[in-house]
Amino acid sequence: MTAATHNNSSGFWRRLTRKKQLPEYEWMIKPTQQEEWIEGPGVYLWLAFFFSEIGAGIYFVSLFSNFRAGFIIGWLMTLVLGGLIHMRYLGNPGRVLRIFAKPGTSELARGMWVILIFAVLGFFQILPALFSGLPWTGFNFMYKIIMGIICLLLIMHGFATMNVVRALPSWSSTMILPLSIISGIWVGSQFVEFFMGLAGANLAVFEMWSRVFFFVYLCFFLLYIWGTYHQSDTAHFSMQELVKGDYAQLFYVGVVVIGLAVPLLLTLIMWGQTNTFLIFVRLVFVFVGDLLLRYTLMKSAYYTPLI
Amino acid sequence: MPRWGMVVDVKRCIACWSCAISCKEEHFLPPKVFWNRVLISERGKYPASRKVIYPVLCNHCSEASCVEACPTGATYQREDGIVLVDYDKCVGCRACLVACPYQQRTYYDQEKKDAEYFPGQGKTQFELLGEEIYPFQVGTVMKCNFCVERIDEGLEKGLAPGQDRDATPACVISCPVGARVFGDLDDPGSEVSQLIKVHSAKQLRPEFDTDPAVYYID
Repeated sequence: MTAATHNNSSGFWRRLTRKKQLPEYEWMIKPTQQEEWIEGPGVYLWLAFFFSEIGAGIYFVSLFSNFRAGFIIGWLMTLVLGGLIHMRYLGNPGRVLRIFAKPGTSELARGMWVILIFAVLGFFQILPALFSGLPWTGFNFMYKIIMGIICLLLIMHGFATMNVVRALPSWSSTMILPLSIISGIWVGSQFVEFFMGLAGANLAVFEMWSRVFFFVYLCFFLLYIWGTYHQSDTAHFSMQELVKGDYAQLFYVGVVVIGLAVPLLLTLIMWGQTNTFLIFVRLVFVFVGDLLLRYTLMKSAYYTPLI
Repeated sequence: MPRWGMVVDVKRCIACWSCAISCKEEHFLPPKVFWNRVLISERGKYPASRKVIYPVLCNHCSEASCVEACPTGATYQREDGIVLVDYDKCVGCRACLVACPYQQRTYYDQEKKDAEYFPGQGKTQFELLGEEIYPFQVGTVMKCNFCVERIDEGLEKGLAPGQDRDATPACVISCPVGARVFGDLDDPGSEVSQLIKVHSAKQLRPEFDTDPAVYYID
């Protein structure tokens, strides 16, 4: 990428994410934007939550389809991508260990323990996939149930951490956890479907499940927007910023068109017959759309004014 | 054990910012960091509008969101209700900062450490002294501590916080109009308890269910 292209693309991103700066004298007098977890180094947290959850989603869906490569990809995505970006956000990896010392303190600490348990149990589950001489423990039913529960907890981790922040009504919305679960499963299923397609598997049943996941994702997304819009004045303001305000462009292009409309179109095109290339294209759109959905949700969170 | 708290009479406040400045001076706070702020707004519509001034600081809530959000126990509450940050335990995740509905916390990064009150002129003797005797740790979160050093030292000397200047938070003793009163909320005879009772003082945004220790008379 040349310097000029890079400047153009970063300028385009800045235009999409720009925000009218709140004058300092209006701080906490008007709804004030949450910045710590999305501006500057906060961007790493957005990416860390995303990759951890999508990796867990891939792992979760692989549990049902017994797709060995999915176990490995999901495990690596959660720990290597999600974990490393988490470390980057915290700045000093040595300090992260302190979080493990007090698991009962907060949602964030409990989430870190879930990641640790996922790392250890997942490692023993995927070990046979790496060394052909070992028996495939992935078929062990109880082990799968335990890993399934851990995956669901991990999928929820980021949004659960956000959900407990009562000060940000758009995050403490009831619908945010169901939306996070289905979003992790939906994006994870797209990865697994694509890789299974590459492996030459019959995708007819999987595609049917994909349609179900997509429909539920769409419903939960609409319920979240509608519910939050009617929740409180500040939540209403947050949603207005999303659908009419500074982030409307990003929301409609990134979330509605890329994340929902195009995947819907591709799903309809593939109705009755699957095509690995189209599944790949849909995967790319779903991936980008979900990433931007999380970005806009983190960006459009506002604190209630104090006076 | 007392529960320290504050009452702010917003009708007396003249928005002179001396609380904010004395706080910065007391704790050697770097540029752009405030543990005390003054919010100025208006209520109602012209011609029936009126100006409202609310000095805000950490509320040292009983049910503090920041304490609940801290994954390491770095943010903790003492028995006397003061919420403090242990910089040695803080990992800089900023969960407390996001969780605080009053937005009274600041993340202390390298940029803030390097900031100078007179940019390009080097640090003043005051700033250098602050780094020596009141050091903050880069990558941790800082906030108002109700001038806990003054309270603890005052109590050791047998002084009464809220009554004796040396044992009272800097923002209280520097207020030129006496808009701030500090004392024990658990003592029904204390000045703060009496003011709350007589004037029906209110907490800021009680709907957050955090039970702040700072009350406002308006």
